This record gives sequence, C-alpha cells and structure tokens, in this order.
Amino acid sequence: MTVATHDSTRLEAIPRPRSVFQRNLNLVRELSITNFKLKYTGSALGYVWSLVKPLMLFGVMYLVFSILLKAGKNTFDFPVQLLVAIVAWTFFTEATTTAMNAIAGNGDLIRKAYFPRWILIAASTTSALLTFAINTALVVLVTFATGNLDLSWLSLLAPLYYLELILLVLGLSMLLSSLFVFFRDLGHIWEILSLVLFYVSAVVFPFKTVYDYSKKLADIAGLNPIAQIITDLRHVLVSSTKLPSMASLIGPLAFIPILISVAVFLVGFAVFTRLTPRFAESL
Amino acid sequence: MNPVVEVSHLRKRFRLPLDKSTTLKYRVTHWRSSSRYRDLIALRDISFDVPPGQFLGIAGPNGCGKSTLLKVLCRIYKADAGSARVNGEFSAFLELGVGFNPELTARENIFLGGAVLGLTRAQLRDKVDEVLAFAELEDFAEQKLKNFSSGMQVRLAFSVAILAQTDLLVMDEVLAVGDASFQEKCFDAFSRYKREGKTIVLVSHDLGSLEEYCDRVILLNRGEIIADGPAVEVTSAYHRMIAEHALATERDSPTELSRGDPSQWGSRAIEFASVSLTDANGQRSHRFDTGGPMTLEMQILVHRNVGEFVCGMAIRRADGLLLAGTNTFMDHVKLSSDAPGRMISVCYAIDSLPLLAGGYTVQVALEDVTGSHSYDHADPAANFHINAMGAHVGMLEMHGRWQVAHDQDVPSSDAVRQTAG
Repeated sequence: MTVATHDSTRLEAIPRPRSVFQRNLNLVRELSITNFKLKYTGSALGYVWSLVKPLMLFGVMYLVFSILLKAGKNTFDFPVQLLVAIVAWTFFTEATTTAMNAIAGNGDLIRKAYFPRWILIAASTTSALLTFAINTALVVLVTFATGNLDLSWLSLLAPLYYLELILLVLGLSMLLSSLFVFFRDLGHIWEILSLVLFYVSAVVFPFKTVYDYSKKLADIAGLNPIAQIITDLRHVLVSSTKLPSMASLIGPLAFIPILISVAVFLVGFAVFTRLTPRFAESL
Repeated sequence: MNPVVEVSHLRKRFRLPLDKSTTLKYRVTHWRSSSRYRDLIALRDISFDVPPGQFLGIAGPNGCGKSTLLKVLCRIYKADAGSARVNGEFSAFLELGVGFNPELTARENIFLGGAVLGLTRAQLRDKVDEVLAFAELEDFAEQKLKNFSSGMQVRLAFSVAILAQTDLLVMDEVLAVGDASFQEKCFDAFSRYKREGKTIVLVSHDLGSLEEYCDRVILLNRGEIIADGPAVEVTSAYHRMIAEHALATERDSPTELSRGDPSQWGSRAIEFASVSLTDANGQRSHRFDTGGPMTLEMQILVHRNVGEFVCGMAIRRADGLLLAGTNTFMDHVKLSSDAPGRMISVCYAIDSLPLLAGGYTVQVALEDVTGSHSYDHADPAANFHINAMGAHVGMLEMHGRWQVAHDQDVPSSDAVRQTAG
C-alpha cells in the first residue's frame, strides 16, 4: 500500500550503501555539481561565462600574437592551434587555482564531518573538467563547421595527452591545496608562477618557434609538461603532417615531461596524505 | 558482545605555534629558527568501552576535552597515542547542517547534506518529500536556504541528520535547538533511538537532559576521566565539583574588582569601586541558603558627571545560563551622578532567594539611559553558592503547594465507557 501524504511526525532512517566507494563517488558528484552550480549562480548568463573567458583570451591572443606580431605566420592554421592550447590552459589554471582553496575553504566540512579528504580535490577537479568538457565540445563543433578539424588515426592519442594533463593537474592540486593550509601566500606565488608558465609553455606561439631559434633552448623548454602536452595535442588534433610532435623536435628527451607529470602526481599524493591528519587542527 | 566503542589509553595534544607563521615568505626568511610550540594536552590517557545499546553521556566544564574526544572518535582528529575504535557504522552530529550551502535550495541541500552522511542521490530521491514534511517545509522546497529563518534551517538540518541508519550516534549538544514543538519532535526521535536500542554518545552541558536520557555518564576534567558511572551519581559529583571550584575561587579572589580584568569593559566615566554580596547580618558572604536573603552591594565611583544613568544586575548559573536580571530603569528607580570624585552606594536586596543548590555568578553593569553606551560592565563581578539542603531538585524553588481532595466521587469504569461511547 502506498501512502499519498507523508506522516510528518516520523522519519524512517535509511541504511547507507554498503560500498564505501559508491558513497565516496556520490559525494564527489554532489560536491562537484554544487561547485559548478555555485560558480555561475546569480549571473544572468550562467554557463556562458565559462565560455566567454577562454573566447576572450583567444580573441586577444589572436589579435596580438597572430595578427600584430605574426607569431604563427610560418605555421599551419594558427587560430585552431591557439584554440586547442587556450582551452587546455584554461582548464589547467582554473583547476589548480580552485583546488588550492579546496581544503582551506572547506574548513567547516573538515572540522565537523569525516570523509576521505581527497574527495574535495576530486570534486574541485571534476567541476573544472565539466567546464573543460563544454569548452572542448564547442571548439570541436566550431572547427568541424569551418572545416579546420583535421582528424586522423593519430587523434585517438589525444585522450592520453588529456589524461596526462589531468594527472598533472591532480598532482599540483593536492600539493597546492595541502600546502595552502599552512602557507597562505602560496596563492600569490602560484599566480605569478602561472603567468610565467603561460609564456614558456608555447600557448601563444608554436613550439617550433623556440626550436628554430635555438635547439638547445628547445631541449630545456620542452621538458615542461604543459609545453609538451600542448605541442603534442596540436600534432594529433590540428595536423599530424604539418605540425611536429615534441618527440620529433627534442627526441627521446620527450619522455621526461611525461615522467615529470607522473612524478608531480606522486609527490602531490605523498604530501597530501602526509598532511591530511593536520588539516582539521590547522583550520 | 563486542563493545561498539573501544577507547584505550587515548592521548591527544595540540601544538600551538608561538610565532604564527602562515606564510612561506616568513619560513624562508626565518629558516634558521626552528618553530617554537606550546603543547596543550587535551586528553591524557582516556580509556572506556561502550557496549551495544548504551546511552552514554559525556559531561565536563569548558575546555575539559569533551569535544576533542568526540572528534577523535569520529576520526576528524588523529590520536597521538592509544586508540579509539568504533565497530560499525556511525553518524556524527557535531553540528547541524554540515555541508549545507546557503545558495542552494532546500531540496538541493537535502541531497548535499545526505551525501556528506553517506547517502546516495538515488536513495534520497524517494525520501526528499518525507524529509520536507518532517521539517515542516513542504512549501519551501525550491527556496534558497539563505532566505530561511534560523529555525527553518535548523529543522531542515535536523531532519537530514537523522536520515542515515547507523549503529552509533555521536552528538555534540545539538538538541537544544528549534521552537518548542519541533524540539518535541527531536526528543521523540531521540527516545525512539533509545527504544530501538541504538548506541548513543552525547556530549552536553545540560545535566538535566543527561540525567533524563543517559544510562551512564563520564565526567571529564582537564583531559582526564574523573568519574564514570550511573548518570545520577556522576551528575551529582559534577555539582560537587562546581561547588568546590566556587569555594576555591572564593578563597583566592578578593571581592574588590581587580583593575584590568578582561571580564570588565566600558568607558569608566563612572565605575564600580566594589561589588559584594552580604547575608542577613550584613556580613560579606559567598554562601547563601534557599529562601534566605541576599543583598548585592555596589559602590559606584564617579569620575565624570554623566547625569542620569542605569545600574543593572543579572544572576547566571555557573555555566553561563542567564537566570534573572533587572536594572534601575526597568524598576523605575532614578539614578544620577553627583559631582566627580563622589561615591554612590546602590544595593539590590533579595528577601528570599528562589535558587536551589549550585554555583552562580553575578554580573553588573552601568549604562546610560538609552542603553547604548556602557560605562562599566563586569561579568562575573561576584560569585556565590547556594548550600544544599532539602530534597528539591532542579534550579528553582517554586514555593508551590500540593493540594489533595479525598471526598470526590469517582465515576465507575462503566460510566466512563458509556460517556466515551
């Protein structure tokens, strides 16, 4: 028998799911949906803002670097290269800056409730990924419509590079969020570092420019995982024939940035696990 | 049967940094000096077990380590030594509405708060309307939490908090919330847990509710268990402890207010020179009897002529609960300052104290007639103790009378049934 009206004087408790993994996954989902919702709540344009930012960045960068400075004049389809890079870069900065506050900004949850603390990092990264997914879908749609999308079998490698980017982002997020609890000036430090990274990561110019200028410099600059990820994404997504991969430019050294990404993840994880017991007392 | 909670030789200390360095810059520029800490021992060697179905209360003065103990049990803090184990599923109500977000609607907050408790969206979907009904908020499901009154927020939070089925409930004084009718609902839920034989650990200041609900009470003081046993025995030990403490402070501190006391504030245009309590013979005392007289004597020193002013007093229980208070303005007594340098003497005489045994404090204040400017304020300005005598329980002597009548006819049970039918 079903009762149409609820008895307002009694509330039966429900058992939790047995699987702890299922509970944690559910909490990640709820927290990331909340983060995503809150970010755009109360603004008339809502999610559109998440598109405006990278589009604006793209517009300005295109104007300055492609048209005024002719940074991509010797390369193939520079605007699409720029789009791919800016979407990836926006995800990187957004994910790391929001994650930095994921622990310190949730003091109430940490002091009053128990759940594995990595959930907060997973949630903040997931909400940045949501924005990233929307942006990527839009870029694919636009480039497909204009006929600039040059997909090949090699394009199937793109998810692997995105995975490398996510690994790097997660590692940095764990590192930054746990250290930020103890060092509050890390926010400013990271802001400056991000600015430097933006210009050394070949976002606004093809990495080939560095290579043509000095092979030695390319060997050093190519070790930066973001430069490698962006260069390789351009190689597999924009044109596998006309744009070089990192490996074709710096040779076997191209493995190092991948190793660095994995190492950053491991170090981030180690630092995070070590500092976790001190969060509740320090916030 | 295995105990639900096993705590053995638990120790917890907090390291409080003496130089607060929260920047990397500071650590880089002061890398040579190792950080200095002050250790605060919150729990020293705590051991106890809680068998299934027991309702355990934890009591103790502020800073005794109750909350720390609860947080170690809930795995929020990590023990420094020893162990605290919970066998089975537990729910912690350290605060109501943990995880709630003011920008979300009531419905969204149920999903969020439920997720923090470990419940999934699929489980909660069928339950949302029931929760809203229990919280008496059916008409506000799509309203943002920030637009709710604090009472509404508490009702929603409590309704979500009791959603998860668990073997153990851990609670930190969250029950004294909401309006009277909702409080009744909370206590119903609470009694139901007890009937269902759930294991509950409750931390509370309120000795009355500990006596009412708990099978056993643990009394903590300075991080140590000083009493552990049946509720009534331990709460009376706690009463004794408060009384002894009051006596100790009586010996230590003179009645005269010491200047620079942090409990005192105000502009001091006029100020209390002394505050004292006197008994029937006009002698200063800290011990009084229920039903006996007590007079609060205040000497007010005038530094600057402020014109008309108000003198107020209040009596609090040792734990801070306001019991009574009044001032000269409410009681239509006119007070005004004379020339600077003069002393004004003000007394508040109580003929018959309605308080029962326990420790109490007196708060005094001097303000302007609008109540917006404080000249002097001291809390506590004095403390006193009511001697234990008589068998009445609680806080107040009600001076009530029992009346019994024997000569009434009782309708037979048949007659009752007939009228009922």
